[in-house]
Amino acid sequence: MSGTLQISLKINGESRVLHTAAHSSLLNLLRDNGYFDVKCGCEQGDCGACTVLLDGIAVKSCVILAMNCDGHEVRTIKGLGGHDRLTSRLQKAFVEHGAIQCGFCTPGMIIAAGDYLRHDGRADREQIRRAMSGNLCRCTGYQKIIDAVYEVAAELESEVCG
Amino acid sequence: MKDFAYHKAPDLKSVQQLLTEFAEHALPVAGGSNVMVDIRNGRLNDRELIGISDIAELQGLRFSRGKIIIGAATKISEIAVSQLLAAKAPALWMAAQVFADPIIRNSATVGGNLAYASPAADLAPPLLALNADLLLLKKGGKRKLPLADFFLGVNHTALEPGELIASVEFAANARSAFYKLGLRNAMAISIATAAAAVKRVRDGSISEIRLAMGSVAPRPVRCLHAEQFLLGKQALHIDPEALAQALVWDISPIDDIRASAVYRRAMAPVLMQRAIARACGGCADEVFAGKKSADEGRAGA
Ligand SMILES: Cc1cc2nc3c(=O)[nH]c(=O)nc-3n(C[C@H](O)[C@H](O)[C@H](O)COP(=O)(O)OP(=O)(O)OC[C@H]3O[C@@H](n4cnc5c(N)ncnc54)[C@H](O)[C@@H]3O)c2cc1C
Ligand code: FES
Ligand code: FES
Repeated sequence: MSGTLQISLKINGESRVLHTAAHSSLLNLLRDNGYFDVKCGCEQGDCGACTVLLDGIAVKSCVILAMNCDGHEVRTIKGLGGHDRLTSRLQKAFVEHGAIQCGFCTPGMIIAAGDYLRHDGRADREQIRRAMSGNLCRCTGYQKIIDAVYEVAAELESEVCG
Repeated sequence: MKDFAYHKAPDLKSVQQLLTEFAEHALPVAGGSNVMVDIRNGRLNDRELIGISDIAELQGLRFSRGKIIIGAATKISEIAVSQLLAAKAPALWMAAQVFADPIIRNSATVGGNLAYASPAADLAPPLLALNADLLLLKKGGKRKLPLADFFLGVNHTALEPGELIASVEFAANARSAFYKLGLRNAMAISIATAAAAVKRVRDGSISEIRLAMGSVAPRPVRCLHAEQFLLGKQALHIDPEALAQALVWDISPIDDIRASAVYRRAMAPVLMQRAIARACGGCADEVFAGKKSADEGRAGA
């Protein structure tokens, strides 16, 4: 067995000192330490279930080397919902539109949608589909997810313009 | 049993030190989007992982005296949002638009894409067409290598043990373009890609042209036969059949899970025509005289 290494990082605003194997993914580091709101799907970068914010930018934690995050800041969906206004609005819209069935894809979907909207994402269904193209859902058929993100995008646009 | 060690390199000096110390055992990890998949699938083991994602000198893009210089650890997302590249190197910018999905683009890097040397690496054809050079660093020295001499085979490059890609640089060329054919419109590994960069002289003829393709050979390839055929031709009157004939000599596609060799051979000239047409600033109907009148090709005109 390879020995474990120490890593210091901020997770959801809290400074943590943890231990991990040299080759662990950020996904495994998070789940091994109880952050089960980060979902483990394909572990190949394809499904987006493991999406988190790293230094404020959305990444797929299964294809990030945990040790590369030493000294950096991670936020999972639990550290965003209720703290970040945009995330809370997306969560509410997902519930209202029935965009959640089993919920497995939802943390990743909401973080990916938030990343799109924070980077001036428009209320444009085609653009939203592209923005979310790396996040798979086996339940909803996507339409309701797109509707939920579209609604928040449209609201944001009217707030800026109006 | 997985057996790895990890060393973080905070700056260029320390990465050169670590790469020299561990030589062929060292494995730089930038974004990790290739490395992590290979570790999980058991393709990699027993390596000294060198974290290079915090090295400031490897980040970012700059434009100086007509040259564009991109640090190896620059993210694909930075290419995708760069207005400068959209205007001055559209081939590279277009490749970044269709690279994986936006979330992977936030961590995947330019240097990782080239160093992994997949035949399907999406940044390789545009950078080959733009005649890019790599700046390679090693303890006690650096060298410049044309990208055209870098790819040796599948996952095989001219990087020497202990050597790192520091940056990639090329002259701006607004007359450049890229096309990717995948199984879907987004989040798809390429079936075939084509990139073109041209220079035209006043009478409309092609005075300089570089073409490259991906996923049609064991490595990303320059299309020298097709280039030779096009030199001196009028950019707006290219015979598509003759171009396809020339291109046959430049590619050697295989069957794989994404497409057959026959399909790739059929699509290669189509993609290349589109890339050339776009680079020349026209639509395919205008540039390829063989396609007959413009209104035939346009629906509802
Ligand atoms: C879901 C998914 C989708 C993808 N889609 C695409 C796609 O559409 N198009 C495409 O081209 N690729 C795609 N890829 C592949 C991958 O994302 C890219 O090749 C990416 O650019 C690799 O960069 P990285 O920083 O993540 O590399 P890493 O995994 O960190 O490194 C890759 C290799 O490069 C070496 N390396 C990294 N930086 C340097 C350097 N500066 N000097 C020397 N060696 C270095 C590493 O040692 C390693 O061998 C995809 C991957 C995934 C997981
Ligand atoms: S678990 Fe990370 S993308 Fe699927
Ligand atoms: S709600 Fe079940 S996977 Fe999306």
